[in-house]
Amino acid sequence: MSTRPPKIMNYILLLPGLLVIAFFLVIPLLLTVVISFMQEFSFTNPIFTVENYIEFFTSPQTPTILANTFGMSLLASLVALLVGYPAAYFMTFRIKSIKTRNLIISLLLVPFLIDWNVRTIAWIPILGESGIVNYLLQYFNIVHQPVSLLFSRWTLIIIWLQSNLLFMIFPIYLALSRIDPDLINAARVLKSPPHRVFYEIIFKLSLPGVIVGLTFVFVNTLGDYITPSLWAGGIQVLGLSVANFAANFVWPYAATQSTVLILISLAVLVILFKIVDIKKLVE
Amino acid sequence: MAKVIEARKLAKRYKGAVEALREISFEVDENEFFIIMGPSGCGKSTLLRIIAGILDYDSGELYIKGEDMKNVPPHRRDVSMMLENFALFPHMTVYENIAFGLRMLGKDKDEIDREVRKMTRLLHIEGLEERMPNEISGGQRQRVALARALIIRPSVLLLDEPLSHVDYRLQRKFAEMLKEVHREIGGVFMLTTHDQEHGLSLADRMLIMNSGLVEQIGTPTEIYNDPQTLFAARFVGELNTFAGTVEEISPDAVWVKTEFGTFKARHPATENARDLVGRRVAYIVRPEHVRVSREDSGQDNRLSVYFNTYYYFGHFLELVFSADAQTRVKSVISANEPFTAKVGEQLTLTWPYTKATIVSKPSVVEGVDIEELIYGK
Ligand SMILES: Nc1ncnc2c1ncn2[C@@H]1O[C@H](COP(=O)(O)OP(=O)(O)O)[C@@H](O)[C@H]1O
Ligand SMILES: [Mg+2]
Repeated sequence: MSTRPPKIMNYILLLPGLLVIAFFLVIPLLLTVVISFMQEFSFTNPIFTVENYIEFFTSPQTPTILANTFGMSLLASLVALLVGYPAAYFMTFRIKSIKTRNLIISLLLVPFLIDWNVRTIAWIPILGESGIVNYLLQYFNIVHQPVSLLFSRWTLIIIWLQSNLLFMIFPIYLALSRIDPDLINAARVLKSPPHRVFYEIIFKLSLPGVIVGLTFVFVNTLGDYITPSLWAGGIQVLGLSVANFAANFVWPYAATQSTVLILISLAVLVILFKIVDIKKLVE
Repeated sequence: MAKVIEARKLAKRYKGAVEALREISFEVDENEFFIIMGPSGCGKSTLLRIIAGILDYDSGELYIKGEDMKNVPPHRRDVSMMLENFALFPHMTVYENIAFGLRMLGKDKDEIDREVRKMTRLLHIEGLEERMPNEISGGQRQRVALARALIIRPSVLLLDEPLSHVDYRLQRKFAEMLKEVHREIGGVFMLTTHDQEHGLSLADRMLIMNSGLVEQIGTPTEIYNDPQTLFAARFVGELNTFAGTVEEISPDAVWVKTEFGTFKARHPATENARDLVGRRVAYIVRPEHVRVSREDSGQDNRLSVYFNTYYYFGHFLELVFSADAQTRVKSVISANEPFTAKVGEQLTLTWPYTKATIVSKPSVVEGVDIEELIYGK
């Protein structure tokens, strides 16, 4: 007989974690939803209304804000995938030595040891008008005047790429390194040319990693309104709008926008996880 | 007849590790059921992977149907393989697994459908098509893996230890199915195993391998009756072995002096007995030729032993005797034959000289001593 504690004990072990999640996640979220239906922020004498939602969805700015918010995050996720997948593939299948692989993973972690502000400001000497890139462009006579590389949507994508790439590479690397090499060998002896081995076996078996990577980057960038406000040349995103309204104590409207943000993110995640079976990630 | 596979001095050394293949040469004919047999780690999988093209060889030559295979990728070879552990694609249904090869060859849906149906009927796996590989039993996985490898109808089908990963009852059933499928479909079947029973019963010809070298190539009866080395003799079945020195030869017999007396044997088929006079050799006789006799039966060889114990196998009985404290001698008799003896009872064993022979080489591997192989460490 095993000496496993009775079933209820297992759940008691979960309790501290569940309490933390309840206090710091579920309750604030519920409060946000409740506040989003208030006319004025007041718990003593609340008047509930859907006015905020009507205002949000009829505002002429809303389509632009939504397109900016979700569009930029989606674009950032896709760019990270396009850059991250080959990197993870290379690490898994081309680097044979485990030591070298671990070294590369450690190097990818180094930027995270640097303070976020420093990391972000470091882009000025790289992309600024007197930065390295402009210097090289002029040195090789590609341009004659410094070009403005900072403060555009692409600046945002590049900065997001830098700060999120690891979250894309890592889950894909894990998924790829779990593929039994004999599955690849089986496909090869069953007459698969290399590109079909890649698509039919490697890519399909790494899909869970791809989905997790996309989710990480998407959620991470969606919640980040500081980087867009600093570097994207003044584009409006939902998070920034929330912050502005909250700063002016228009809490119900800020809560409405937050709720919409959360709902749309959830919808995107549900769709992503429909594509792959989450069970495959852990089995 | 045309050779389907020709291997000449194939060698392979893994990076920084052992020499897995040490200049192996052999040929396989059309429609042969060819079995590679040897202990675990002797290089069987390495050899099959090289033939399939999923592993490169360092030197030597490999021809399949006369074509040099150097730098020919696996998908351009007329070879299919059932890998050890089956390697079914976990993200595909049984149907998709079986259909995979034909799909890669660009066959149309109707043809794939027809062929998959043929395969599932042939291998008795109908009704599993929509299941995932982790939803079927080990025996079913084994047959799905075979169907998947077979469906592309290769000239050479490689089967790496197909019998090892299921329980014993299923092993025999699958072995019989393989033999029938081979008769029906034809082509070269090349199978590895470390199990003597399956090896002997399935093979048209077999190759006994040891530490990356060939111990012997031949039909099962050739190897069983006329082994070239003591290792090969031991590997294909039970064996009584006595170390001794060749004393005398006549045109049809040799006499070997052992510590239990001088025994008579026929000439070895694979070496010249005349060169062996005065040499240390292994005198060998298989247990089924050894009989218990209580009176003088006038046989060529007699050995006085004590009855030790017996093992009952249903259709036969294995009797174990002691010639001295270390030396066990076995006799296999039909379970229908009457036999009674008390433990410790003194008996005489006899066997005809035509059923005994001698082997001078312990193994093709260098540095193995014949006495060591007979008596152990
Ligand atoms: N990828 C590998 N790297 C290093 N050594 C290996 C590798 N694969 C097999 N070997 C070694 O090569 C020898 C032959 O292996 P293998 O062909 O798998 O033997 P078998 O199939 O007969 O059990 C063994 O000693 C094994 O340890
Ligand atoms: Mg093996």
